[in-house]
Amino acid sequence: MTAPNGPPVAPAPPPSDSLRIAIAEDSAILRDGLVQLLVDRNFVVTDAVGDADALRRSVKRFCPDVAVVDIRMPPTFTDEGLRAAIDLRQEHPGLGILMFSQYIETRYAAELLADGAAGVGYLLKDRVADVSDFVEALVRVASGGTALDPEVVTQILGASRRTDSISVLSSRERDVLALMAEGRSNAAIATSLVVSEGAVEKHVASIFTKFDLPVSQSDHRRVLAVLRFLGS
Amino acid sequence: MDDTGVRMHVGGKDLTIIVSRERVDQAREVGHTILRTPFLKRTWSELLFLVIGWPLASVGFTFVALTMVGGAALAITFIGVVVMATCIRGARGFGGLHRGLARGLLEEDIEEPEPFAPRPGFLGWLQSALRDRTGWRAIAYVVLKVPLAAFGFYAAFSLWWDAFACLTHTVWNSSETPPVFGLVRNVFAPGYLSVGTSGFFHGIAVMITGVVFFFAAPWAVRGVVYLDRRLMHALLAPDSMTMRVRSLEHARAQTVDASAATLRRIERDLHDGTQAQLVAVAMRLGIAKEKLAEGSRVDLDQVRALVDEAHQGAKEALVELRDLARGIHPPALDTGLEGALSTLAARSTVPTEITLALIDRPTPAIETIAYFCVAELLANVAQHAQASRAAVSCAQYAQWLRLVVRDDGKGGAQPARQGSSSSGLAGLTDRVHAVDGRLTIASPEGGPTVVTVDLPLHA
Repeated sequence: MTAPNGPPVAPAPPPSDSLRIAIAEDSAILRDGLVQLLVDRNFVVTDAVGDADALRRSVKRFCPDVAVVDIRMPPTFTDEGLRAAIDLRQEHPGLGILMFSQYIETRYAAELLADGAAGVGYLLKDRVADVSDFVEALVRVASGGTALDPEVVTQILGASRRTDSISVLSSRERDVLALMAEGRSNAAIATSLVVSEGAVEKHVASIFTKFDLPVSQSDHRRVLAVLRFLGS
Repeated sequence: MDDTGVRMHVGGKDLTIIVSRERVDQAREVGHTILRTPFLKRTWSELLFLVIGWPLASVGFTFVALTMVGGAALAITFIGVVVMATCIRGARGFGGLHRGLARGLLEEDIEEPEPFAPRPGFLGWLQSALRDRTGWRAIAYVVLKVPLAAFGFYAAFSLWWDAFACLTHTVWNSSETPPVFGLVRNVFAPGYLSVGTSGFFHGIAVMITGVVFFFAAPWAVRGVVYLDRRLMHALLAPDSMTMRVRSLEHARAQTVDASAATLRRIERDLHDGTQAQLVAVAMRLGIAKEKLAEGSRVDLDQVRALVDEAHQGAKEALVELRDLARGIHPPALDTGLEGALSTLAARSTVPTEITLALIDRPTPAIETIAYFCVAELLANVAQHAQASRAAVSCAQYAQWLRLVVRDDGKGGAQPARQGSSSSGLAGLTDRVHAVDGRLTIASPEGGPTVVTVDLPLHA
């Protein structure tokens, strides 16, 4: 479909407003599959590369809206994807980053979110099997939202139960916060918890109050609440 | 003729003695050495070693004697034990001083023993000190060093002094016997060659004695120092028990590293291979599922292609998993080496003959090591040896299992070196060493290659 480091893939004339996506993934099978999936959905894949340095060059050259980045890539197969992502976020503030990994390391999530949770995602590779959810998360990240894997949320929740720094929240509020951290909207949270959207709004407002978050743009507050949650 | 004739006049007759050139060269060599020795740096370093060694030995002995006797006298009280522990710790220090002196002056590198590693707490320190083999052996050295140093001082240093006294005697006082002491004095007086005790002949005799002493003294020193070197190697270097512990610790570390490396490799294989493969399969099926959900406008060809790819991917993942599982523990081993090795031989691309003569069944760990040795060695034969046939024999010798893998290839196989490219062979060597086994490679250029692995039957 596309060669790593090759020219941008140009599918049949894409809609002018479609997302421009860069992919960095060292497994050729997955890389090709992702390109296929995204092109099929009329996204523009600016580049599909196999290592972090190629990603840095590619982002500089093509200025994509969002980058899907594998954490473990050559040459050391540790966290070069994450390092590149952190650098890229500083160099290109508007760039959304969706980390894509076969493992969840809470530490990685915390590092990635240290500069704020806007335009950041961290998903298990498995999530790509639910194509729509995956694409949704990608779009959300590209437009400055957050997408954390439920696994990340579970791990942090497990850890924070022990440190009880979010013990001020009721269990329902914690559920809402966990879904917020995944990046869901109030409507989506309402559907997921089988309650009304109004009830979710009430819980969210209560979380903001308990976390003592200043009144400002509600999206920003959501991000802050998530960060508080991650920091706990 | 290489022989040299030495012509002599004996009692008016001409006598020619034939001496081979070799002998002459040898004699010349010895003469050179004797003449050169007093002027070598080594000679004076050794003398300095003896001179410093004497007071050091005295101080060391005094310390050990006082603390040991004091400790023994007070042994019924707690303080006595503490004093004895101090004695052992101190002796270690003296051992270190002697070792340093030997390194600095004799260029004798005596291996450092393990540093003293006390258990936590004062009682732990006490217990560790009292049980410190190195400390006790250092005490033995400090005690034995005293007679050695005294003898050295007496026998060797006195020779130097006498040489000095005799050579300078004429300057001081030609009518007196030079002030010799030590060994020389007891054996003979320097004027023994002279008729009288004064006069010209006496002076010459004293002078000759001085020259002889001058060239003999370095050898006496060297002899004493040689004894000291042996003593230090015996008592101040780590003993065989410690060396054994060290080599076991090394082997254990290698085993731990090797198993960690194996786990890392398996994880990497899973991560890069099977896991990625399965994610791709799930993704393709996910896309196909969504396409099917589109209802009437389903592009069946596209869906079929996706399912095909997913199907192919799932099959590849299965193969990868099977290979991986076999790499961790070959199922064939469950029924014993015989079946497992036969399977290996049958799978080998080079025709391989297997001979097996085992009476007892080795422990599973040994069977696994033996299996992986044969697997790796046969893989090497197939990859590098350009052999037309190979043979594997597996025989029991008392409590040992001997594996021999030979091929008729081009030879030139390199034994595993640290950091060499043949990491497979290096890994094997580590595994074999870990159970006190041995791996030897005989592979001359042009072949044949014979690799012998000896393993204990029971690890």
